[in-house]
Amino acid sequence: MRLLDRFFSCHCSGGTAPDAGCDHEGTLLLIGNPNVGKSALFNRLTGGSATVSNYPGTTVDVTRGSLIADHQVWEVIDVPGAYSLEPRDAAEEVATRIVAEHPDAVAVAVLDATRIERGLYLLLQVLEGGMRTVVAVNMIDAARAKGVLVDTAALQQLLGVPVVSTAATTGEGIRDLVGILHKAQVANLATVRDRLAGKTPQTRVNLPGCAGCGRCG
Amino acid sequence: MKKAITDLEYGETGTIVEILGFRQELNSLGIRTGKNVKMITRQPIKGPVVVIAGDVQVAMGCELAAGVVVDLGTGGDR
Repeated sequence: MRLLDRFFSCHCSGGTAPDAGCDHEGTLLLIGNPNVGKSALFNRLTGGSATVSNYPGTTVDVTRGSLIADHQVWEVIDVPGAYSLEPRDAAEEVATRIVAEHPDAVAVAVLDATRIERGLYLLLQVLEGGMRTVVAVNMIDAARAKGVLVDTAALQQLLGVPVVSTAATTGEGIRDLVGILHKAQVANLATVRDRLAGKTPQTRVNLPGCAGCGRCG
Repeated sequence: MKKAITDLEYGETGTIVEILGFRQELNSLGIRTGKNVKMITRQPIKGPVVVIAGDVQVAMGCELAAGVVVDLGTGGDR
């Protein structure tokens, strides 16, 4: 199939019920706290030019771009930074609305590696929403400089969704992030709670799109 | 000894034991029970209060902060 055809058509019959290996278009939402590098990540993924600054609240509107990965065209949406999905200001209202409008999208939950805990509240809200999710632990270069190490494997095991570390300004980990998008999972919060309590729930089998690295179980 | 976060002296630390009122709003900013906080600054005439919780500076309105109760006794982090 030529690249152009891929852009303008989808070879799924009827366009419903996308199955594995189908060139179906998907939507990617970059969700995270203010000032964690969502726009920098957006620019890396799409080659776009969203405004990036070292101040929270830079993005108040929505920026859209596209990413072609693994024969699939993704629409990437740069969501304004939010601390929670119960809106308290204009940017959070926009963020909440976008999330509500795209229930079938894949959420890329962006965390600041130097301040992991601050982002977990929003991450949990995203997971509660039942979206397919991958976690990007961004600013890993800054964390390393501060002597902060992030155990992404443990986080992945606990949450049951893929976790990769990235540094959007240098490009580190972007390829890993793109490569793992098709493994995005809906988290089972009851299972997460069990794991936190020290129980080891049954490993899920036949996860959609998962080749079975066995780590997210 | 327990007191409201607004009564902490500059540089004083405490562990949050109770949040009265707007819990959800503060939770999303990383202010939750069991968290260690250190007073950075508080502005006069009911101005905002700034504390460090973990590595993050959090500023909150005086009314919001007044509902946060800290215990000075325990120094255990978490």
